[in-house]
Amino acid sequence: MGSSTSHLSKENVSEYQELTFLTKQEILLAYKRFMELYEDKKNPPDPRVSRVSLDKIVKLPELQSNPFRERICHVFSTSELKDGSLSFEDFLDLLSAFSDSATLEIKSHYAFRIFDFDDDGTLDRNDLEKLVNRLTGETDDTRLTKDEMGQLISNILEESDIDKDGTVNLSEFQHVISRSPDFVSSFKIVL
Amino acid sequence: ELVALSTRDQIRAIRELPMSFGEKKHIRSGFESQAVKDDKLPFQCHSADRVNHYTLQRVIKQNSTVQRLEVIGKFGTSVLSYFVFLKWLLMFNIFSFLINFGFITIPLLVYDPLPNIPPNVSFRGLEILTGVGYFNYTVMYYGGYSNETLVGQVDYNMQLAYFFTIAVYMVLCGIALIFSMASSFKTNHVLADPASESAWQLLCSWDFSVTNEKAVRQRKNNLCVQLKESLSEKAQRKRLTLSEKLGHFGVYLGSWLLSTCLILATDAANWSLLQEAKTLLVPFVVSLMNLVVPLFYSLFNKFEHYSSHRRLIYALVVRNVFLKVSILAVLCYYWMNVVAETFCWESMVGQALYRLVVVDFLFLMLGSFFGEFLSNVIGTRLLPRIGVPEFDVARNVLELIYAQTLAWLGIYFAPLLPAIQIVKFFILFYLKKVSLTQNCQPPQRTGRAAQMQTIFIALLFFPFFVGALSIVAYVSWSLTPSEHCGPFRGLNNSFSVVGVWIHHLEDIPGSQWAIWIYQNIIKSEIFYFIVTLIILMIIYVFWQVTQGRKELIVLLKQQIVNEGKDKSYLLDKLQNLQTSQPNKTNKLMNQKKV
Repeated sequence: MGSSTSHLSKENVSEYQELTFLTKQEILLAYKRFMELYEDKKNPPDPRVSRVSLDKIVKLPELQSNPFRERICHVFSTSELKDGSLSFEDFLDLLSAFSDSATLEIKSHYAFRIFDFDDDGTLDRNDLEKLVNRLTGETDDTRLTKDEMGQLISNILEESDIDKDGTVNLSEFQHVISRSPDFVSSFKIVL
Repeated sequence: ELVALSTRDQIRAIRELPMSFGEKKHIRSGFESQAVKDDKLPFQCHSADRVNHYTLQRVIKQNSTVQRLEVIGKFGTSVLSYFVFLKWLLMFNIFSFLINFGFITIPLLVYDPLPNIPPNVSFRGLEILTGVGYFNYTVMYYGGYSNETLVGQVDYNMQLAYFFTIAVYMVLCGIALIFSMASSFKTNHVLADPASESAWQLLCSWDFSVTNEKAVRQRKNNLCVQLKESLSEKAQRKRLTLSEKLGHFGVYLGSWLLSTCLILATDAANWSLLQEAKTLLVPFVVSLMNLVVPLFYSLFNKFEHYSSHRRLIYALVVRNVFLKVSILAVLCYYWMNVVAETFCWESMVGQALYRLVVVDFLFLMLGSFFGEFLSNVIGTRLLPRIGVPEFDVARNVLELIYAQTLAWLGIYFAPLLPAIQIVKFFILFYLKKVSLTQNCQPPQRTGRAAQMQTIFIALLFFPFFVGALSIVAYVSWSLTPSEHCGPFRGLNNSFSVVGVWIHHLEDIPGSQWAIWIYQNIIKSEIFYFIVTLIILMIIYVFWQVTQGRKELIVLLKQQIVNEGKDKSYLLDKLQNLQTSQPNKTNKLMNQKKV
C-alpha cells in the first residue's frame, strides 16, 4: 500500500504508455507534478482514486493563463459530481490529448467539447459568442460590439454550417479544422 | 472491427478513441482476455517489437521536445519554424561537407599530404577574413586539386571524383527540396482553404502552448484587432471610392518604382566596385546593402495601405527576393564574363565567395546586435513609445536562404566552404536564440505559420537553388577551365570528363550498355523532348481531374443542404401527424424509426 503510492509500478506505467500518447518520461513527470498538488505531501493518497479539485489544477503554470482552463478541467473530468476535479488518469488523458503525438481526430474531438460551453453536443450562437469573448479578452476596449459580434458569428456559421441548421456539429467542426493546418501545432500543452 | 486487427494495431486503435482512460482500459481488457485464450506466443512477440518501435519513435520525439519548449511557451509556433528551418539547412551543409571531404579531399591528402606552397608565403591571421594568401595553395579552393589519376592501392580518378561528387550532391539537394516542398504544399495548401483569412482560421489557431500571462493578453488583443480587421475588410471592399482607389494605386506604384531604383543603384555600385577589384570592399558593400535596403522597404510599408496583412508580407518578401537575386546576378555575371579569363579563375571566384560568406556572417551578427539589442534598449528606456522589437521571421529566413545560396554557389569553386557554413549556422542558432529571449517580443500576427513555411521552402528552391544550380551547370558546360590549376586543366569544359571516361570504357568489355545509354540518351535531344511531352500530358490530365473534383464538391455541398431541408420537412410533417391523430402516433413513430 505504502510503496505503491510513493511511486508508480512498472505495469501501471507501461499500461499508461500503451493507452495514451505520452512517453515514459512525460508520464513520470506528470506523476511528479500531480503529486505536488496534494496538500499532504508526506502521506499522499492514491492518485488514481482521490481527485484534485479544479482550483488547484487551474493554478498549474501551464494552465494558469489559458482562457479555457475551467472548460478543460470539466471536459476531462470523470467525476460523478461534475465539479471538474481530476484524478491522475484524467490528468494523463488531458496531457495525452494535448501532446505532440495525438491524432487530429482526438484533438478536434476534445476541442469541440471544450468550445461547447453548454454541453449540448453542438456549437450554437451562444457557444460561439462565448468562444469569441474568451479569446478576445474581457476588457471593454477589446470586446467586440453587438453588431460586430453578430456579423462575425454569421460569417462563421456561413463558412462552417454545411447543413444550414444554425449550429455547428462535430463533423462540421472537424471538417473546418482539417482545413486549418495550424491547429495541430497550436493545440498543445507540454509540462 | 477491432477484433480483426493484430494486437499492436488494436492497442493503437484503442488509444485513438476519444474516451476516458477508464473506458479504454475496459475495452482493452475485453480484448486481452480473448487474446490470451487464442494464442499466447504471438502476443509476446508483438509486445516486444511493439515496445521497440514505439520507444524509438518517442525517444526521437522527446529529444526535440525539450529544446522547443522554451521557444514555444513564449513565442509560439511561427518563430519555432525559423529555428527548424535553420536546423534543416544545417543538415544540408553537414551532408555536403562530409561527401566533399570524404570523396575529394581525403584521397588527395592521403596521396599528397603536403601542399606545395611557395616558400615566401606564410600563414598570417588575416587569411581567415580574406581567404587569399596561404589558403590559396591548400585544398580549400579548386586550384589546390590535382587532375591526375591517383595511383595507390586503387586507381582514383580525381577528375571524375570531383565532377560526380558535386553533381550528385546538387541532384540530391534538388530532390530533397522538391519532396519537402511538395509535402509541405500538400498539408498546408491543398487541404487548407487558401483564400480565407476567415474567422474560424483565426479562432482555431489559438496557441494553447503559450503560458506567459502577458503574452496571452497580447495575443487576445491581437486576435481582437485581426477579427475586427477581417470584418471591416469584408464590409469595406465595396466602400472605396474611385479617388481613394487611385490614390492607393499611385502609392503602390511609387513604392515599387522606388524599390526598383534602389535595387538598380545597388547593382551599379557593385559593378563599379567590382571593376576596381578591391578585395574586401565588395563583400562589405554587398552585405551592407543587404542589411540596409530591407529597412527602407519596411519604411515604405508604413505609408502603403494594403488590404490585408498577408499581402503586405508578400510584397515585402518579393522585394527582398528581387534585391538579393539581383545582387547575386550582378556578381555571377562579373565572375562568368570578366574573371573567367584570368589565371586560375576558379580559385579567385572561390575566394570571393569565401569572403562573401564570412562578411555576411559578421553582418548578421552585427545586425542582430543593432537590430534587436539596441532596438530593445531604445524601445524600453529611451523612447518607450516604440516598444520592444518584434522578431521578424520573414526577414531572418530570407537572410538564411541568401547565406545558403552563397554556399551552394561556392561548392564547385571551394569544396570545403560548407565547413565554414556549418560553423556559421551553428553560432547563428545560439545567437538568435539568446537574442530572441532577451530582446524581442512575439510576432503580433498569429497564425499562418504553416503557409509561410511552404512559401519559404518554395523560395529556397526557386529562384535560389535553381539559380545556383544553373550557374554551376553553366560553368561546367560552357566555360573553359583554367589551364594551370585545378582538376579540369587541359579540357575544353568540365563536362567533357564524362566523355573521356566513356571513351575509356569502350576498351573494357561488358560495359556496352553504359556507352549506349550515354550516346543515345544523355547526348540526344529527342529523349528530353519526348520526356517533356509526356510530363506535360500527365500534368494536363491531372489538372482536368482536379477541375472535375471541384465541381463534384460543389454538387455534394448542395446535396447536403438539400438533405438538411428534407430532414426538417419530414420532422415537421411528423409533428403535424402527431398533433392531428394522437391515437395512431405510436404505430406511426415505430414505422418511421424503421
